[in-house]
Amino acid sequence: MSSVDYTKEYSVVEGSPRLSEIEDIIIRPLNVKPDKKFYMAISVTLTMLLIGVISLGVSFYYGTGMWGNNNPVGWGFPIVNFVFWVGIGHAGTLISAILFLFRQKWRNGIARFAEGMTIFAVMTAGIFPLIHVGRPWLAGYLFPYPNQHSLWVNFTSPLLWDVFAVSTYFTVSFIFWYVGLIPDFATMRDKTTNALKKVIYSVFSLGWRHSNRHWQNYEMVYLILAGFATPLVLSVHTIVSFDFAVSVLPGWHTTIFPPYFVAGAVFSGFAMVQNVLIFIRKIFDMEHIITLDTLEKMNKIMMLTGMLVGYAYAMEFFIAWYGGVEAEQFAFVNRAFGPYAWAYWIMVSCNVLSPQLFWFKKVRRTIPAMFAIAVFINVGMWFERFVITVTSLSRDFLPSSWGYYSPTLVDFGILIGSFGMFFTLLLLFTKTLPVVSIAEVKAVVDGAQPTHGDH
Amino acid sequence: MSKSRNETKYWKNLKEYYNDPDVFEEKINEFKDGVTDDFETSHLSSISRRKFLTLMAASAAFSATACTDYRDKGEIVPYTRRPEDLVPGIANYYATSLDGYTGNGVLVKTREGRPIKIDGNPEHPINKGKIDAAQQASILNLYDPDRLGEPQQNKKQISWNKAINSISGELKKAAEQNKKIALISNRITSPTTNSLIEKLKEKYSNIEVYSYELFDDTSKRNAWNKSYSGSLIPSVKLNEAEIILSIGNDFLAKDGNVVENIKQFSSRKEFVKEVNSNRLYVVESELSLTGSNADYRFPLKNSDQKKFLLTLLNGLVSKDAGLGSQFPIGFKTLIAKHDFAALSNIDKKNFDQLVNDLLENTGKSILVVDERASEEIQILSHLVNEILNNNDLLCFSKAFVDYNSLSNSDELKNLVNELNSGNISVIINLDSNPVYHLSYIDGFAEAFNKTAAKISLSQFENETTALSNYVIPINNPLESWGDFYVRKNVYTLQQPIIAPLRSTIQKETFLLSLLNEKLSSDSEILPLVKENFKKLVYEKNGAIVSFDNYWNNSLHDGFAVIKIEEEAKADFNYAVLENISFGKSAGGLTLLLKPNHFIGDSRFANNGWLQEIPHPVSKVAWDNYAAVSPNTADKYQLVNNDVVEIKSGAKAVKIPILVQPGTTDDTFVVELGYGRTNSGDVVKDVGFNLNNMISLDSDSPYSISGISVSKTGETYELVSTQEHHAVDDSKLKDIHLSRGIIREGTITEYKKNPDFVHEHDHPIFSITDEHEYKDHKWAMAIDLNKCIGCSYCVASCNVENNIPVVGKDQVGVGREMHWMRIDRYYSGSPDNPEVSTQPMICQHCDNAPCENVCPVNATNHSPDGLNQMAYNRCVGTRYCANNCPYKVRRFNFFDFRDNFADAFYENDSTALVHNPEVTVRSRGVMEKCTFCIQRIMDARSKAIAEGREVAANEIKTACQQSCPADAIVFGDSNNKESEVNVFREHKLGYHVLEEINVKPNVTYIAKLRNTESEDV
Repeated sequence: MSSVDYTKEYSVVEGSPRLSEIEDIIIRPLNVKPDKKFYMAISVTLTMLLIGVISLGVSFYYGTGMWGNNNPVGWGFPIVNFVFWVGIGHAGTLISAILFLFRQKWRNGIARFAEGMTIFAVMTAGIFPLIHVGRPWLAGYLFPYPNQHSLWVNFTSPLLWDVFAVSTYFTVSFIFWYVGLIPDFATMRDKTTNALKKVIYSVFSLGWRHSNRHWQNYEMVYLILAGFATPLVLSVHTIVSFDFAVSVLPGWHTTIFPPYFVAGAVFSGFAMVQNVLIFIRKIFDMEHIITLDTLEKMNKIMMLTGMLVGYAYAMEFFIAWYGGVEAEQFAFVNRAFGPYAWAYWIMVSCNVLSPQLFWFKKVRRTIPAMFAIAVFINVGMWFERFVITVTSLSRDFLPSSWGYYSPTLVDFGILIGSFGMFFTLLLLFTKTLPVVSIAEVKAVVDGAQPTHGDH
Repeated sequence: MSKSRNETKYWKNLKEYYNDPDVFEEKINEFKDGVTDDFETSHLSSISRRKFLTLMAASAAFSATACTDYRDKGEIVPYTRRPEDLVPGIANYYATSLDGYTGNGVLVKTREGRPIKIDGNPEHPINKGKIDAAQQASILNLYDPDRLGEPQQNKKQISWNKAINSISGELKKAAEQNKKIALISNRITSPTTNSLIEKLKEKYSNIEVYSYELFDDTSKRNAWNKSYSGSLIPSVKLNEAEIILSIGNDFLAKDGNVVENIKQFSSRKEFVKEVNSNRLYVVESELSLTGSNADYRFPLKNSDQKKFLLTLLNGLVSKDAGLGSQFPIGFKTLIAKHDFAALSNIDKKNFDQLVNDLLENTGKSILVVDERASEEIQILSHLVNEILNNNDLLCFSKAFVDYNSLSNSDELKNLVNELNSGNISVIINLDSNPVYHLSYIDGFAEAFNKTAAKISLSQFENETTALSNYVIPINNPLESWGDFYVRKNVYTLQQPIIAPLRSTIQKETFLLSLLNEKLSSDSEILPLVKENFKKLVYEKNGAIVSFDNYWNNSLHDGFAVIKIEEEAKADFNYAVLENISFGKSAGGLTLLLKPNHFIGDSRFANNGWLQEIPHPVSKVAWDNYAAVSPNTADKYQLVNNDVVEIKSGAKAVKIPILVQPGTTDDTFVVELGYGRTNSGDVVKDVGFNLNNMISLDSDSPYSISGISVSKTGETYELVSTQEHHAVDDSKLKDIHLSRGIIREGTITEYKKNPDFVHEHDHPIFSITDEHEYKDHKWAMAIDLNKCIGCSYCVASCNVENNIPVVGKDQVGVGREMHWMRIDRYYSGSPDNPEVSTQPMICQHCDNAPCENVCPVNATNHSPDGLNQMAYNRCVGTRYCANNCPYKVRRFNFFDFRDNFADAFYENDSTALVHNPEVTVRSRGVMEKCTFCIQRIMDARSKAIAEGREVAANEIKTACQQSCPADAIVFGDSNNKESEVNVFREHKLGYHVLEEINVKPNVTYIAKLRNTESEDV
């Protein structure tokens, strides 16, 4: 058994690389032509995206009726996908902002990429509220804008809060990401020999000269933005959960939803980041920058949030019983034993049972095992949103209006399309921007920090 | 200077300065040669300025219009001379009648000359302002794009003159060749049609008239004749009965004049103003709507009906021997052999109570039996009513007139033989569909097809027109003159509301044309109607006003009452009892054929609205099926949607199964009228045709014993608007009762504890101040005691509010658009469940949960308490529907106007059916019940015009207007005089889901069952 001495702080970057080596490794993907594998990957994701675009086209042409939604179940796959993708978008800002505030150095190697994923996930998620409406050409009505009718949006609707919450989160995450990129743009500007790239990097680096003064201002801005982004991490999914919690529907109307949704979002976000990073570190030879230790730490967070989610599942049942509201009790019994029991048990086994394997260190540190578990977690979290949205709607107060929801091919097409969009953006990201923050990694290599040495 | 200087001061050039002679000349001749000479238009460019501008303007306009999607919406022509009595925007109402079956009177609402809604005629003495679903929805038939529009000969369009001439020729040819002419029709109740047929018979002595109904009631009429020789069958004063015992008679849904029955029955389910209730016992094989409303229901196989009656007689006579004093000896011994023990599945206690109830309420109870039961059973029922003095409840003045008795099976078989032998060379089908209906007569279709000249009159293509060489398209009832004499004291008139929309004539005009041997016009029918009216009504009544006056008044009213002396009832003929045989029960499987609820004998099959109203009990739409009991389903390992093959003798049919609680074991119940092969777009592939299973020869033509059933392994999807839950699933059992959605009790319980409905209520409070409604506040109340679940309100709402037909596939995925639905719940055992029905519509909650979640404010609250929808603002997030606890919101998943059956709604004629007062909703928009806001606004503008307040009970919603049970009350709950207030404050009144504090505004009056014990 390999022993790790937890009393000692290990370097988060292995092998004490030289600073120029770090620059070279991180910038190399941007300077070499995409290889065959890249083209294969992007053709797969573009095909998925195309499937989504066609499915959307069909939906726009014929109407929402192309989906499985029906009369009791007004919300189906699009809302499930929306909540899922917003959830995926949670890990990035949590890693880059909250862990930054907690001075977790290991986050430096993964923050850039995780943040990129956040932005792409929120972009993917943001499509759904707009396309899921019956008349998408009027989706502009959801935004408050002055008009001659003096017609205003309804500020009491959680769906409107969603619009604000998600757009704020996206804006702040994007700015935070960009600010972090500025020193790297400058580094790339200095290193590149390509005239066009030089112009582009010069523009985006905003005249950065690595001066002490620049660094000072940069650190302050970064800190402020981190502080600003931190509450947003919590608020976005809280507000998304209000979509459900503010309603009167049994199974939706629960006070536990905000923390439960945030925990779930972090859970699924970390799982997705872990999944993708496993590929990135291998393909781009960054195994010493995104180390196994980092992955292990992420797995631990997954285990923690997985248990939080499991606790929430149990607590929902307890409160339904304790609260004594018959319709509420039925809603939960129906979840576990009704017509959607299959979805419920997929959710429980993926989200609650599978992360328990992370108690074993061997599992935490074995790439295929942790990869598989994280995939399960993402499947489970998608099903969690499905269970919440669909089972509650399908059997609510009046038994006369109950109905079963079955998704259509178009629903699946749009789901596939959302993955296509996300991964296409991710692939393009790996070829256009440094996937790891050069400046931040340099700051945590051995010898980068002033030490007292052995004194 | 060599040249002289110019004298003038000004010069233009040097030539002028030096006085060049050329300049001088030029000055004199201002217009040089050729300048003016050449000016000829023909020499100019052919494009003149004007022409150029014209072309420019035209091409600009052309390119501008070509780039827009401007669609020519047709000409809009204003009235240059306004028709009398017509104000655009104001509806006119005309009284008429639509059918000869019930002879009910209707009132047709027209807007700018266009009929848009059919309601009952409130003054009509029989139906009193109410009509059934089929008649309400039949407005769609008028505008149906599938209507036949031109006469056809061998599927080719011909002119009307040619059609009449060649058909007259066929008739003459038949007369010359000594061949017979068969005229086949459904029961004729119109004196005018009848007189025309008589005249035609005089002209062509070789005409033979055949008439049939899919559901033949000959045995009922014969039995009455045998019991009380000669007189017409009286109607029953159900409203005066304390005890009603129905043996297989579905009088609340299918048998007799249903509208009249419901009205009378429900008038005795009164608990709000006083406690006044009848008690209904139902003995039946299938779970019918009447059985659903029974206080006591005995499931009994159809074949045991006679046994039950004889046992009942035994029970009555053994309690009171005097009742049987006049029975023949043989009959006495016969009934003595029927003891209760032979009746399986029937609770002894309840049976004894039935006997006691009948004995205690002599003269105030009534027994009604299956309309299609054998003569023996009918006679026994007459006997029970006779010995209990229940004949006081029979109404002879409203007796059912029997104008033309139906042809019996021998006559119909003879028709087939004659057709086959060629004795009949011409067959005229007078607006019936014998090829479809008479498939139980062996070889009818083939024989029909063999006939030389086949003439069919019909509004729609059907199985018979498909085989006919002449197809004569006829008018819709709304385009026709006519009269119906169905009930002894009422003569109903029919007048055209609109000119024929297509090139059609009414069927009487066709008969008249044959008589005149040239094409007549519809207007020639009016004098005939008047003539008959004069003879049968005016002269009989001895009215003192002039005929014209009398006629005009009657036409305005839509009917005339005929004065008749109350006819003394004849004595019961006890001798008939001698032939009654022992009541044996038939073993094995039984196929029970029943009428359907909405599409008649299939004549309304092409009406999407009617196909889409779910079956009132099973909630299945768009199909028929074989209903079986859960036990039988288990025995044969059948589940819903399994297709079985039912065999009876050589006949075999396939039909899907529906497990229907309450059906007796070993019985397969099928409703007829489905499975059309030739008809319009709507009815394609709808249901299964079992007409050929009818066995008219047997004692019970519609209850076929000794069938065999086998599972085919195929499945066929039935769609329903309510999930089929297993009644015995413990998680779901009685969930509607435990949630307080349905609150029920018994009269005994209510008398003991009038507050029992509210026993489990919790105090509810709000943390915010309640909104105050200062002026009007609209509210509705629905009396569940009166509501029998007939679904006529659904039909009315559909027509009033432009509810689209979505089709079977969309109902299958739960996207039906009905604003009003009738929820049906079962409780108790699956063998004999208690049924509760509950009309469910938007509850217009004060704290409407749909309103606060709409991100765009598309649904909001009006100051008079209405939950409103602004369709234009709606983006379709469906959040409101999710948050509606009653799930009454309906979303337009497609543009349902073009989604159903190849844009059925978008053709020119169907669009005319829309109510102009109600917006036609587009795709992606949420909609729901508005409390008929258009009617509220109408009443409001009337009140404003008259300078008064809207009266408390002035507004009637469409559902309320059509409810034959008067179960729905609507009004201003802020007005203390309003009726709805009485309901809201009544102890039996409750709100569904009031515990979630949405403050709904529809009050339900809890149902009380009139049972002896306290438990339901």
